[in-house]
Amino acid sequence: MDLEMVSYLSKLGKLSFTEEEMKKKASEMTSIIEIMDTIKEIDIKYDALADNHDVYLNDLREDFSLPSMPTEKIIQNATSSNNYFVVPKVVE
Amino acid sequence: MDVTSKNISQLRSMLDNKEISATELADAFISRIKKYDSKLQSFITVTEEKALKDAENAQKVINSGNASGLCGIPLAVKDNICTDGIRTTCSSKILENFIPPYNATVIEKLNSENAVMLGKVSMDEFAMGGSTQTSAFAKTKNPYDLSRVPGGSSGGSAACVSASLAAGALGSDTGGSIRQPAAFCGVTGLKPTYGRVSRYGLVAFASSLDQIGPIAKSAYDCGMILNSIAGYDPHDGTVSKNPVMDYTSRIGQSIKGMKIAVPQEFYAEGIDDCIRKSVLSAADTYKSMGAEIVQCSMPSLKYAVAAYYLISSAEASSNLSRYDGIKYGHRSKIGENFNELISNSRSEGFGEEVKRRILLGNYALSSGYYDAYYGKALALRQRIKAEYAGIFEKCDVILTPTTPSVAYGINENVSDPVKMYQADICTVTANIASLPAISTTCGYDSDGMPIGMSIVGRQFDEAVIIQTADAFEKQFNTASPIL
Repeated sequence: MDLEMVSYLSKLGKLSFTEEEMKKKASEMTSIIEIMDTIKEIDIKYDALADNHDVYLNDLREDFSLPSMPTEKIIQNATSSNNYFVVPKVVE
Repeated sequence: MDVTSKNISQLRSMLDNKEISATELADAFISRIKKYDSKLQSFITVTEEKALKDAENAQKVINSGNASGLCGIPLAVKDNICTDGIRTTCSSKILENFIPPYNATVIEKLNSENAVMLGKVSMDEFAMGGSTQTSAFAKTKNPYDLSRVPGGSSGGSAACVSASLAAGALGSDTGGSIRQPAAFCGVTGLKPTYGRVSRYGLVAFASSLDQIGPIAKSAYDCGMILNSIAGYDPHDGTVSKNPVMDYTSRIGQSIKGMKIAVPQEFYAEGIDDCIRKSVLSAADTYKSMGAEIVQCSMPSLKYAVAAYYLISSAEASSNLSRYDGIKYGHRSKIGENFNELISNSRSEGFGEEVKRRILLGNYALSSGYYDAYYGKALALRQRIKAEYAGIFEKCDVILTPTTPSVAYGINENVSDPVKMYQADICTVTANIASLPAISTTCGYDSDGMPIGMSIVGRQFDEAVIIQTADAFEKQFNTASPIL
């Protein structure tokens, strides 16, 4: 796997690497993809219909409202919170 | 004999017969944790105060004569199962200070039975790994040899039960994470059928494969824990409405006439000789009990590791996108704008293995590669399911090794992801096919390290695999580690 691909995948996963880390990841991913490539030998197709025949869409639970979780409990794990989630400025 | 070395069914009788109180029992386990866990490092958080309070409440229920199976039994919980008000880290820096605002359904179920929670135990970060050495907080050791790994990802759960620091534990299994550490630590671990146990409150890794299950000293004990945690849950749309039965009910019934399949590919090159011999010798034991051993084949096994890593990493890359450093979890101090903050928080918070899985998942799902990797992996999942169905037309259970080798040294394999992935060959297919599987000890190598065998059953046939494992355990001399 080349550095360009690692950089593209990192961006998709919102991860940042130094140049050194990027080279290491490229080498590791190349070895990992070699194992994944074993599945290319077999010629089979996925049958989506066969997979979903036992999904019962009418078996959903009843739609009724329950009390919400208290705000202070929701917010307790957020850093820099003041009863709301704080994010960097998004408007220029 | 020290009370902590007893199994859950024995402790149940002792509590019910008032030979020991729930508080004395909790105290005995807490003392043992204090004495030995500094070298074993199985616990991330010990909840001593809660355990003693749980025990006090349990004793009241015992005194009233209404105690159910796990009432007063001291258990440990893997640190990826949410516990209201108690830190749940997933062994990751990104969740180092995360306090869940709610309980997982399995915790609610244990609480309703008045089980005693001793604490939260270590694991590979986000359950990705087979050594517990990717934990950011407690790199657990194997109780049989402290220079070796306990397996993983539920390494803390298996090690603490093996070392008698808990009577039983909850783990989770996405590709072998209950069975493999159970095998390495010489205990019994059960991965239930997908959908048998609610995943609500289990921190998601790969949602179509994850399943919570027990690790204990015997198949009987695993059945007792499963009795408590199984069943329908409106919070989890993938949980089954199949009625819950007593999973210990077949224990003691003869296995005469049972057909046990032995698929040749599980015993081929790559499996250490001592493991192969030991599991085949267990097959002979079953034969001597009247079971019929049936040779069979699973040709797609050679593709299983690739299919598993493609599906699980694809799901992980999506599931882990929720960690942004904003709502909860580690938040970077550096981040001029929104995207930079998220990227820095994730890069500082996730460990190397987690990052590799995110990259692999994104690769498998990205345009131009989707059909060749993810699509093909889904097709293989169907093929593997079909091969299992073919075997179960002729047989009742399947017997395989749990691992290709016994527990290895802490510095071996762990830094080589390819070797680590290939070691999952014996366990991943049960997850891919949503089947229940149990691992129990069937031998020891020349260094005294435990060897595990797995029994795989039809969907929802947990009682049958527990019965089969128990039949072997009854005639096998299980060792105990000396700490």
